[in-house]
Amino acid sequence: MAGFFFLFVKRSFSNPPRFLLSPKIPILCSSTSSLASSSQTLARAFKNVVGGGISGFPRVSVPRWLSSQSAAVPDLKTADGLTVDAIAAKNWPILGESESDWRSHAAAIAQSIQLIKKRMQWRKLIVRLDQMSAALNKPDLWDDPVSAGRISREHGELLSKMKEVNGYEQELLEHIDLMKLAREENDEELEWESMKALVSMRRNAKEKELEALLSGDHDSCSCFIEVQAGAGGTESMDWAAMVMNMYKSWAQRRGFVVTIVEEMPGEIAGIKRATIKVDGDYAFGYAKAEVGVHRLVRISPFDSGKRRHTSFAAVAVIPILGDGSTRYQIKESDLRIERFRASGAGGQHVNTTESAVRIVHIPTGISATCQNERSQHSNKASAMAVLQSRLDQLEMARQAQLNAEHTRSLTDISWGNQIRTYVLHPYRMVKDLRTNYEVSDPESVLGGDLDGFILNFLSYLLDKDEANV
Amino acid sequence: MTLRFPFTVRSPLPPVFASSLHRCLSIPSPSSSSSPTPLPSSDRRPPLFLRPPTFAASRSDLHDFRRWAESLALAAGPRISASDGGPDAALLRREIAWLVEDATVAAASESGVGEELRLRVELEELYRLWRARIEERRPFQYIVGCEHWRDLVLVVKEGVLIPRPETEMVVDLVAEVEGFEKGLWADLGTGSGAIAVGIGRMLQEGGRVFATDLSPVALEVARLNVERYELKDKIELRRGSWFEPLRDVEGKLTGLVSNPPYIPSSHVPGLQAEVGQHEPKLALDGGEEGMDHLLHLCEGSASALKSGGFFAFETNGDEQSEFIADLMSIKFGNFFHNIKLIPDFAGIQRFVTGFRR
Ligand SMILES: C[S@@+](CC[C@H](N)C(=O)[O-])C[C@H]1O[C@@H](n2cnc3c(N)ncnc32)[C@H](O)[C@@H]1O
Repeated sequence: MAGFFFLFVKRSFSNPPRFLLSPKIPILCSSTSSLASSSQTLARAFKNVVGGGISGFPRVSVPRWLSSQSAAVPDLKTADGLTVDAIAAKNWPILGESESDWRSHAAAIAQSIQLIKKRMQWRKLIVRLDQMSAALNKPDLWDDPVSAGRISREHGELLSKMKEVNGYEQELLEHIDLMKLAREENDEELEWESMKALVSMRRNAKEKELEALLSGDHDSCSCFIEVQAGAGGTESMDWAAMVMNMYKSWAQRRGFVVTIVEEMPGEIAGIKRATIKVDGDYAFGYAKAEVGVHRLVRISPFDSGKRRHTSFAAVAVIPILGDGSTRYQIKESDLRIERFRASGAGGQHVNTTESAVRIVHIPTGISATCQNERSQHSNKASAMAVLQSRLDQLEMARQAQLNAEHTRSLTDISWGNQIRTYVLHPYRMVKDLRTNYEVSDPESVLGGDLDGFILNFLSYLLDKDEANV
Repeated sequence: MTLRFPFTVRSPLPPVFASSLHRCLSIPSPSSSSSPTPLPSSDRRPPLFLRPPTFAASRSDLHDFRRWAESLALAAGPRISASDGGPDAALLRREIAWLVEDATVAAASESGVGEELRLRVELEELYRLWRARIEERRPFQYIVGCEHWRDLVLVVKEGVLIPRPETEMVVDLVAEVEGFEKGLWADLGTGSGAIAVGIGRMLQEGGRVFATDLSPVALEVARLNVERYELKDKIELRRGSWFEPLRDVEGKLTGLVSNPPYIPSSHVPGLQAEVGQHEPKLALDGGEEGMDHLLHLCEGSASALKSGGFFAFETNGDEQSEFIADLMSIKFGNFFHNIKLIPDFAGIQRFVTGFRR
């Protein structure tokens, strides 16, 4: 990035690039605001190079962003009239970051910007901004200084939020203009620098997009994931275990800490039901995309007739609100510690290597015994550790219950609410029924590669939200 | 009424005792005959787990030993537990595992040696040891030469009482006393030094334990344990009868703890073989009602403790505890208050505690 701008600055210093002067480039003269934004980009570029100071450079004067302009929503276009929405609508294929295809980068960035705008409920913001501007223009505004202050503050906040996004848009459009220019002029150096700038912007925009996707109330929380086998006995229990493993691997890949809270194993294979705790930033924000019924179609490994079977597993995701601490605070006075298998007078009368201890937590009736250690003290310490972890599990389950009020728990998930189908036979495919996102490699998905599904669903949610505005 | 130390004679330590305090178990000394109870030669050696692994055996040798030892345990267990409440087969089998654990080098360092295992005793010795366990009912702790007590591994040997699990709690009782860390404590009848070491490890600058016993063997073992836990500057071992060696700190003690012999003399012959036939009578026999020493301690506590000082005594349980508690709160009520009975984990009122007014 810095390299690009360095080059850029050097040119403008000794020999200003032609496009800055050329009337062919309407971006500089179409409107004040776009000039402003463009100049800001330049100013930023100077800063990048000289570390804050731009003395010695021909200074581009930066007109103030005029607040009275409801054109805080400026009509941003490239030289040949493309808007960000138009770029997105072109559906240019989005390739990997390493591919040197500027259209692919531009499409990816446009998509991210659209998503960020959706998340912000852009259309609502425009309406609100107009209202605020109108209010600000009222002559009697300052008759009520308190409300005037509030209005002007909200107006300012709104404006700066929107300005930031417009800044991204402007940046993208400028890069595209530069790219096109470079191609026209056969300026390979400029083309290469523009490409680099696009890639870097693409990464940036992706991060911003994610932030926007995960801005729900509890998104940043850790969570519990519960999986329950549907009807169909061993078949479904095996499937439920596969689903649970998929989440364990997914969470581990993402760097979350996974703890098994409870597990009810099936009689022959798999699980009837299990709960894991997934600790980490935004665990809930991501995992909430998985709520619903997951359906598997395969040749059953349990069917000697090798017939195709369909199995179901329901998934619930519960945010862990509050400090997320699931350490149960044990009160000493709530404990009863007993010598296990003790009889007779004890004390000096008896010599025994048996020093097992049982600790009962009176309020819950939960107990733990340890007899493997060679001293009573150590047996007690081990039993205490076991008791603590049992009570911690109870605490986790309690919190899960408590938190379930904020989400749909397993019991609310109707078995009709299928969200995804995993087909292993006769073809291989995983398809999300909500977003139509699909992948033809079920193994990788079952191995925890879920991000594609999750991110697609999260942006789908935004679409739905926006449709409701 | 004035309370006086209940002893009449105070003699300086005979030289023979003084020298025995400095003797170490690991150095076999032929002149050890000065000790009152002659010890079998095996007791001159350090406990199993501290001996160098100078012997070898194959894994299958050890496997054979285990099989043999377990068959002995299975055959004798039911008889032993039925006869006097001794260990049953399950317990004996766990002891075999621990015996092997102490006699072999830890698994981690075993690897690479292949089929060969390094042993701390000769294989034949292992057989002899287990035979003695079953046939003579020699306590397991004397066989391996140690007792795991609290988070400590204490050296024990014939001639000193094997610390009991119940007694672990005495240390916890002390830890609850405000300001105990810097106090002067006395452990009367320290035996292996268990309580003293337990307290000593919690003490801070200025804190000290005077650990006393009448038995030179006990003091010898206690010294080993004090040294092993590097508490020489916190624990002072003194020989003598009860308060006798504590004259210089009379009225200065922050606390006084003791697990004195409390078994009624008439019960001694019927004790479980491991106890009655192997542990020192001096550590067990409490006189006709078992309370000779306890009463003696009660009488001496008032002048030994400073004002606000704490005491904790272990007793034979329920009746003895109640008797002692009554004595301290009624007869000696002018001197003590806040007398409590504390149960052990089997629910027996095992300890009496209180404070000097
Ligand atoms: C039951 S043992 C307790 C040993 C150790 N405190 C423990 O809890 O493991 C009693 C101890 O009191 C000692 N003892 C017996 N009579 C004594 C006396 N007159 N003065 C001092 N100690 C005595 C015995 O030698 C023995 O070590």
